Amino acid sequence: MKFAVILLILFALGMIIGTLLESYYGTDFANRLVYKTPAFFLIQFLMFVSIIVAALRRMPPKKRLYGFYVVHTGLVLLGAGGFITWHSGVDGQIHLPPNSPSREIILDDDILKIKYDDRSSYVDYNLPYTPFAKEINNNFENIKLKRYYPFAENKFKWLPAKKNYNTQTDLHSSKYFISNPQVSEEFTLSLHPESVDFQSSVSLGPLSIHYLPESISSCFTKNSPSKLVFWNQNRRECFTPESRNLEIRKTNSGKRFIVFKESGMVLTFFPDHSPWPMDSTLKNINQNSPIRLFNHSLFEKAPHLFLFGRKVAYYDKDEEKWTGEDIKIGGSVELPWMGFEISLSDHRITDVPSYVPEKTIPIQQNSQLIKGNLRALELEVEGQSFWVTNQRPMKLLINGQPVAFYLTKRTLTLPFEFVLTKFNMDKDPGTNNPASYESFVKLFTSDGPSDHHIFMNNPLKHEKFTFYQASYSQDQNGNYSSTLSANYDPGRFFKYAGSLLLFIGSIAHYLLNKKRYQQKFGKDNKPILRENIV
Amino acid sequence: MKKIIPLLISFCLLSPLYASICDNTKELGKLPIQQNGRTKPLLVHSKEMIRFLTGKSSIKFQGNKIDAVTAYCRLSLGTPSGDPLISGILARTDHIEVQKLLEVDSKTVPFVDLQDEIQKIRMALFKIKEENPYKKALKKLLNQTALFKDITAGNNWLTYSGGNWLPIRSVANNGTNDELNLLKSNAIDLKKSEKTTFELEYTFAKAHLPSWALVTSLLALAFLTLFKKFNLALGFAFITVILESLILIFRIYISGRAPITNMYETVMFSGYGALVLALVLGHFKKDKTYVYMGLCYNMMTLMMMNFATSMLSSSISPLVPVLRDNFWLSTHVTMIILSYGALALSWILANTVLLKKRFSTISSEDNRYYNDLMYTCLKYGTVMLGAGILLGGVWADYSWGRFWGWDPKETWSLIAFCLYMAILHGKYTSWISPKLFVPLVASAFMSIMMAWFGVNYILASGLHSYGFSAGGAVFLGTFFTLQILIIIITSEKFSFPKKAS
Repeated sequence: MKFAVILLILFALGMIIGTLLESYYGTDFANRLVYKTPAFFLIQFLMFVSIIVAALRRMPPKKRLYGFYVVHTGLVLLGAGGFITWHSGVDGQIHLPPNSPSREIILDDDILKIKYDDRSSYVDYNLPYTPFAKEINNNFENIKLKRYYPFAENKFKWLPAKKNYNTQTDLHSSKYFISNPQVSEEFTLSLHPESVDFQSSVSLGPLSIHYLPESISSCFTKNSPSKLVFWNQNRRECFTPESRNLEIRKTNSGKRFIVFKESGMVLTFFPDHSPWPMDSTLKNINQNSPIRLFNHSLFEKAPHLFLFGRKVAYYDKDEEKWTGEDIKIGGSVELPWMGFEISLSDHRITDVPSYVPEKTIPIQQNSQLIKGNLRALELEVEGQSFWVTNQRPMKLLINGQPVAFYLTKRTLTLPFEFVLTKFNMDKDPGTNNPASYESFVKLFTSDGPSDHHIFMNNPLKHEKFTFYQASYSQDQNGNYSSTLSANYDPGRFFKYAGSLLLFIGSIAHYLLNKKRYQQKFGKDNKPILRENIV
Repeated sequence: MKKIIPLLISFCLLSPLYASICDNTKELGKLPIQQNGRTKPLLVHSKEMIRFLTGKSSIKFQGNKIDAVTAYCRLSLGTPSGDPLISGILARTDHIEVQKLLEVDSKTVPFVDLQDEIQKIRMALFKIKEENPYKKALKKLLNQTALFKDITAGNNWLTYSGGNWLPIRSVANNGTNDELNLLKSNAIDLKKSEKTTFELEYTFAKAHLPSWALVTSLLALAFLTLFKKFNLALGFAFITVILESLILIFRIYISGRAPITNMYETVMFSGYGALVLALVLGHFKKDKTYVYMGLCYNMMTLMMMNFATSMLSSSISPLVPVLRDNFWLSTHVTMIILSYGALALSWILANTVLLKKRFSTISSEDNRYYNDLMYTCLKYGTVMLGAGILLGGVWADYSWGRFWGWDPKETWSLIAFCLYMAILHGKYTSWISPKLFVPLVASAFMSIMMAWFGVNYILASGLHSYGFSAGGAVFLGTFFTLQILIIIITSEKFSFPKKAS
């Protein structure tokens, strides 16, 4: 009995710590550190044992203890039910985008999925269920898994390039800060072939920003009548058709085209359609051509900002001309849109701007992780280290074969398929708060399709699974996706039976004890009208 | 005299300046208004709005007290140039950082001046990443200012007109009596077209039942303890039960669901349940102690309902989707709240015994008897708590597909259950001595308070962020401190300088 009391207190203590951790660090962290650890399971197991022992010690059965036996049997059933659920139950989520089929239940375990192009199969590698960073140092074929961060954050870093490049190529990258009195944003753009986290263009609301080699910048401010600029990547030079006396001609249907000849090559450009030239057959677009043609007039209607590292160019609608300006690191340039100003915070010629995962302890606010929302795994392949994160899968060439790595959750493939045909959300009158949401799904099974309606407190049961309306999301176009929680609980019967026994048992226990009490002391042997307390 | 003349002038100027229907508090208060997805009387809505803006349910302006309905009406219909009251609604800017941001050095700023600073406040808010008291103050100020803007633009007051809910100014802009009559006839149209409860809610709001219940509860307690008139005490206790039943019935009728969905309602229901339980048990066991415990706890809950308005909001608002199931809501939550009530009885008795032992005397026979009484309450409370937790598990399984999920609310109720089970088992085996039992029962209630309030007021916002600024955290902190103090001063090792134990 003392043992049981100590266990109860230990159990309570564990839970107190768990809830405190959860309120600060989030549900997942608390699960990994407290609720789903062997130590916590051990406490529960010992409680389970002590409940059984407590009942066995009161054998052979005595009548006054009938209630007690039933209560303890109920507890044992509850424990067993919990164990069965934990051991062989399924609890996951299924995400239903509008009108596209899904059959994958996403579970809670972290895995590394490796996909070999030549084998057309997946390999799943289980990652440790841990709250903190963990060294794995395990080899899988010729891939070494070094360390795993269950909670990490992207840290911006300039990394040296891994390969050597011709000094003649433009590889530069820049970090800019754009702001007006209402909004401000920092962004990084890169031309470096090794840059995976940062591209050469970005759009901020209606403003499109393009990042181009510095050597092309001089041509952008040349206000040629044709508004066309040639760009030769190999020679890092630019010129206008006028400067080379290239004739702009028109096809029978009135389309502009230019024929450009150089060292035996004949390139035909249709500048109003593509910056790339057609090959001599006039059938294929050659996207590998080092020579391209920019058409300025395409960028004059909407706001487009061209950045070339330390140079800026834009079309000034008021003055009806292209304007170029220099920008120094730390300096800034005023733009002609809504009081925007752009400043250059950093500029590198060969370094690669990268996000490097750093381990962290998560922080949760308003039931959302605001820190540590990234999982990251470091791999070593052929002597080089790479990070794979859940936000960014990675593709590598290993022995000449492309291999893709994904850091995801384990999934379970259902033997049937869902399609979300309609999603309804009712709002409370006059507000945006959802009053109810419901999914209409089509279920495709071997028996053919069938329609179902799932909403709060009305789940769908199919085969051994139950699907509940869990949440929803809305994309930029206003289309709703629905998330169902999918569940298979083989321990359900035990839990319900246990609950029932607990309830019956405790009532029986009191009734039996009351009788005993009355037999012992007589019915009226009670202090009556005690007033001393008040 | 110098002061009076401008006052007089302004008074003369003032009367024709604002819409004249606004003085018609009684008529206006009954009008239906739609807000937050519910149709309610203007009286209730304007009180909620004015309280949100100023923290009080009426406004002091130029030496006059202006009631909420009039103030809300004048804000909705007036213009800053026409009605000086609009410039007289003040926002509290107690936080020093807020003052710095707004470049003011007073603790109040007219909302009118803040309207143009909304962008600035939003920017400042955007820049603070960590949750802290400053961010909280800014958030509150932003919400208040936005609401003020909404009200003074006439958009907050949605009135029924020909099947739609329209901003007041598109229906009544001049504040003439004709317009008031139009609003009244629109209200009659609404009543004809759908089933509404706003008139009933008006009556309910006007009756001030919680205040009356507090008065009768206090009287009952006074007659029981001070004047030793048991029958009168019992009479007042019954009146309290009747009043509280009325409140519950009103709220059920108005909201159409079990009255146990927010803190205000759970506090009331537990006090009500505990009093009813105490009266029933007291009757069958022929013991006044139950009546004392029940009244004591009931009075405390009524105090909270009447005075802790910043923590417990009495407003009735729509439910989140998952709670919209009356069967489970009424069984699971009622069971839990009743168990809180029963455990609260044991807590009251334990503390009374502790204090009585320290400052007066208790015969050993009485002591044993009270211990038995506490044990009884504990048994009832713990069994109900266990049943409530299991019912919650079944409901969660039914609507979310999981029996148990280590959610903080679930976990804390299980923590409380485990602690009470530990006490019951310890007491059963006499491992816990009677001396230890009473303080343990008194302190175990802290776990219930944590499950009940702490999860919402301390854990939900994150441990690091409360900064003791929120009413709930202050309340809980005070409760824990007081309870621990009682345990300390009544412990045997502790002795006062005068009296050695």
